[in-house]
Amino acid sequence: MHPTINMNDLIFEFLASPVMREALPPALLIAIVTASMSVMVMAHRLSFLTVGVSHASLAGLGLAVTLSLPLLPTATVFAVLIALLLALIPRKKGISEDAGTGILFAGSMALGVLLISTANSAEVDLFGLLFGNILTISPVDLKWLYLMSGLIPVLFFLAARAWWSIAFDAVTADASGLPVSSLRLLLYGLVGLTVILCVKLAGIVLTAGMMILPAACAWFWGRSLFSLWLLSVLFSLLGTITGLIWSYVYEWPSGATVVLALCALFIISWSLNWGKSWATAYKG
Amino acid sequence: MTTPVVQISHLSFGPVNKPILDNISLELEAGHFLGIVGPNGAGKSTLLNIIAGLTAPNSGHIDLFGRCLTRFSRHKLLRQIGFLHQLHDHAPRLPMRIRDVVAMGLADYATPWRRVMHSDAIREALKRVDMDHLANADFRQLSGGQRQRARLARALVRKPRLLLLDEPSAALDSVRQEKLFQLLRKLCDDTGMSVIMVEHDIAAISSHVDSVACLNRKIHHHAMKGEDIPNNVWRAMYGDHIHIMAHDARCIGCAPGEPMHAPDNQHE
Repeated sequence: MHPTINMNDLIFEFLASPVMREALPPALLIAIVTASMSVMVMAHRLSFLTVGVSHASLAGLGLAVTLSLPLLPTATVFAVLIALLLALIPRKKGISEDAGTGILFAGSMALGVLLISTANSAEVDLFGLLFGNILTISPVDLKWLYLMSGLIPVLFFLAARAWWSIAFDAVTADASGLPVSSLRLLLYGLVGLTVILCVKLAGIVLTAGMMILPAACAWFWGRSLFSLWLLSVLFSLLGTITGLIWSYVYEWPSGATVVLALCALFIISWSLNWGKSWATAYKG
Repeated sequence: MTTPVVQISHLSFGPVNKPILDNISLELEAGHFLGIVGPNGAGKSTLLNIIAGLTAPNSGHIDLFGRCLTRFSRHKLLRQIGFLHQLHDHAPRLPMRIRDVVAMGLADYATPWRRVMHSDAIREALKRVDMDHLANADFRQLSGGQRQRARLARALVRKPRLLLLDEPSAALDSVRQEKLFQLLRKLCDDTGMSVIMVEHDIAAISSHVDSVACLNRKIHHHAMKGEDIPNNVWRAMYGDHIHIMAHDARCIGCAPGEPMHAPDNQHE
C-alpha cells in the first residue's frame, strides 16, 4: 500500500508496471464492449438474464476442465446456448422468463460445481473463475478475447436501432416488418457472448455488474440511444481504469475493484441526478 | 379498376365452436376511411392485428396492395403500413426525444447507416400532430395525450398506404379527437392513404369516415356514408338490453326523420 504517494506518481507507476500494461488494453476493450451491451441489457430488462447466464457458464467451464477442452471457447458455446434456451423456453412452455432463468441458473451452477469438484484442483483457478483476474490473461485467451471484441461491436452496430425499437414498442416493431423474434435471439446470444468476454475481468459472480452498471450510470443523463451508449462507454472506461488503479495500489482483486468503482460511479451519478431534480423542483 | 388496398375473404380466427372472428369479408379501396365499431371483446383489435400480420388467421385470405399476406411477404408488405395499437407502456422508461420516437416509424430506421435523425419526414409528421415545437422534448415527460400524438406521428412518418388505428383517440380530449379525425380525413383525401380505425364512439367518427363496419364476431353490417344502420343490427351486436337514442341525423347509422338511433353503450 502507498498511502502517501501522489496521484501523478501513482498513475505513472501504474502505467509503468508490465503486468498492468499488459492487462490494460484487454480490460479497456472489455469495458467498451460490455458498456455497449449494457445499454441493451437495461433497455430490454435483461439484468437477471446476465446474472443467470454468467452463473450458468460455470457448467461450461466445468465441462471444459473435465473434458480438457479450451476454457473460453467451451464456456462461450455453453453460455450462448443457455442464453438462447432462455429466449426460447418461456415462450414455448408458458414459464415466466425470470423463473426460466432461475431454473437454468441453479441447474447449470450445480452442474458446474460438481464438474469442477471432480477435477484436479491444480487445473482450476476457482477464485479467478468466480471473481475474475485480468492480470493472468494468457495469450490464447487474449486472441479469443480480441476475436469476440471485434464481433460483438459489429453485430451491435448492425442491430442497435432495431433492438432499441423493440425495447420501446415490440408490437409496433413487429407490425412495421422487423423480424422481432430473430432479433431477440440475436440479442440473447450476444449477451451470452459478452458475459463470457467479461468473465476474465470480473469473474462469474461479478460479471453482471459490468453488464448493468455502466448503462445504469448513464441512464440518468442520456437523452437518446447514442448519448446513452456514449455515456455508458465513458462510465465503463472510467470505472475500469479507476478500479485497476485501486487494485494496483491496494493489491485488491482486479474484478471486484472495478465493479466497486462502477458502483461508486453509480451512486455519484444517482446523487447528482437527484440533486439536479431537487434543485429544479425547488426553483420551480 | 384499381387494386384494393385490403381484400379480406372468409377470414376466421379462434376455436371452431366459438370463433373470435367468423367469416369476415371486407374490401378497402385507396383513400377509403373505414371505422370499425363493436362492443368489448367483439374481435376488433384481433382483426387489426391480423391485417397487420401480427396474428395468423385460422382460415381465409388477406391480400394487401394486391399481394397475398403470408409469412414470407409480410416484411415487405408491412413497410407500407402504419400501425397504432392500444397496448402502450404507460410509464415509458427509455430516454428518448420525441423526434427519436417518430424516427422509429421510418421504414428504413433499422438500417444502421441511414441518417434519419434530421429527416424532413420527421418534422412533417410532427407538424401534422401539432408537436413540431416539442421535437427535442423527453418522451417520458409528456402527458398521455401528447404521447399518443407522438405515436401517431410515428405511424404517419413512413407515409403509409394503409393506416391501422386501434382506438387512437382514447387518451385525447374532445378537441384533439376532432382534430385527429379531421387530419385522417384530409390524409385520405389528399394522399390516397386508406385508414381502418377501431373506435367505440360512432357519434364522434361518423361525420369523418366513409363507412362503418359493425363488428361483433362477424360483420353485422357495413354502412356507407348516408346509409342507415337498422335497429336489429345494433341489437344483434350489443344485445336486447340496449336503449337506442337519437342524435345527429347526418351521421352514419342515423336515418333522417327516424326518432332514434345509436345505442347508449356504443358510446362507452
